[in-house]
Amino acid sequence: MTTVIPFGPQHPVLPEPVSLKLEIDNDVVVGALPSLGYVHRGLEKFIDTKDYNQTTYICERICGICSALHGITYTMAVEKLFDVEIPERAQYIRVIIGELNRVHSHLLWLGLFADGFGFESLFYECWKYRETVLDVLERITGNRVIHSISKVGGASKDLTKEHIDLILKMCDTVEPQVKDLEKVFVNNYSVKQRLVGLATMSKQLAYEAGTAGPTLRGSGNSIDLRESADWDIYKDLGFKPAVEKDGDCYARTKVRITELYDSFKLLRNAISKMPNGEITTPIKGFPTGEAIMRTEQPRGEVVYYVKGKGTKNLERLKIRTPTFANIPSLLLTLPGIKLADVPIVVLTIDPCISCTER
Amino acid sequence: MLENTIEATEIKNGAELLKTVEGLKNDGYRYATMICLKANDGHDFIYIFDKDYKLKNLRYFVKPGEKPKSVSGIYLCALLIENEYQDLFGLTFEGLAIDFKGHLYLTPNSPKAPLA
Repeated sequence: MTTVIPFGPQHPVLPEPVSLKLEIDNDVVVGALPSLGYVHRGLEKFIDTKDYNQTTYICERICGICSALHGITYTMAVEKLFDVEIPERAQYIRVIIGELNRVHSHLLWLGLFADGFGFESLFYECWKYRETVLDVLERITGNRVIHSISKVGGASKDLTKEHIDLILKMCDTVEPQVKDLEKVFVNNYSVKQRLVGLATMSKQLAYEAGTAGPTLRGSGNSIDLRESADWDIYKDLGFKPAVEKDGDCYARTKVRITELYDSFKLLRNAISKMPNGEITTPIKGFPTGEAIMRTEQPRGEVVYYVKGKGTKNLERLKIRTPTFANIPSLLLTLPGIKLADVPIVVLTIDPCISCTER
Repeated sequence: MLENTIEATEIKNGAELLKTVEGLKNDGYRYATMICLKANDGHDFIYIFDKDYKLKNLRYFVKPGEKPKSVSGIYLCALLIENEYQDLFGLTFEGLAIDFKGHLYLTPNSPKAPLA
């Protein structure tokens, strides 16, 4: 006989409210049904009252972790409508802030994940290291959460010599700290016992389930939008996607750790190659037509669709966030899992519910 | 007439939609998402698929009062976005793998179909 129990919306491992109705037989999950709607804010409707420039700031407020990348993706989508190319320096500034976003997001996730399997002091360590990244972002943009670095036509703030020195110093400080963290997440016996072989998704299953980001790459799919033509500046930075083959919780963790090292490398490369010059291109008129833009956020691919009809407001804005793509995979991976492992499995998709519900 | 639109293959009816989507899955396309737009008292759907970073789009006009077919039987991951459009546009999809009946996000006391 099975029993249905709620997991969430309030749960110690969940930073945001999401609920799963778990059907369990003894202590094994046999079925799972997500239940959303606790933080739906109707932002796609809200932009009816904002012009296309103000919408940038709405998009940044979709999420408090990958806020910069929401703003960057939105502005890149609108620039497609205008068919303008922004100055190269502005493109590099977007890459740098985007990668800083990724570093602090992955450190945040590592902390939450450590908390999920009961390593409290490791949680504190991860979040302590993350503070260094947030301090740099605050110094550059004036804000720790909402950075407002991207605007339609380029970047809203330039990077000074002081900012660049701070970023390089942060890389030199945090990279060895990540190496220390890696020893626990990758080599610790208890952690491996919890993660290896848990909630395994084959390469084919992860692909067909429409998953994104480390969830997709942890199953052997080498798909990362930083390789695509939409954001071709990454080709000049020597970017290669981080991929693991095993498809379990351990593989998804290793992908994120590798991506931290990749981000430090990308930051250093971007700083060394960033040209001098303008940071904005003047934009005239109002957007018209349709465009789709995709970028790689810390949790995976985000899809922006924009439609303008020659007025100051967009007619339609649609955002598909990575967690929205990853939630259905839980329906496939949770059955057969012990109830005690559910928090770990849910955390390995790095759920961001504010993004998902918008 | 709107210019600068995205490239998309026009789909004429629900049966053609399911056949085309099944063909794309067999060809190795990944379901990215689906856009719903208000158009001529009905709705325009744009289905977005990805393979090797190249997008393949399908455009399907749903007439007023028509119940669109769900593609969640082919791509399970489509169930969330189709349920979202049931909430926000007041649509009813036929054949949804899991049907939240207009309450994925919205509660019984919420505004009805706020994007319709």
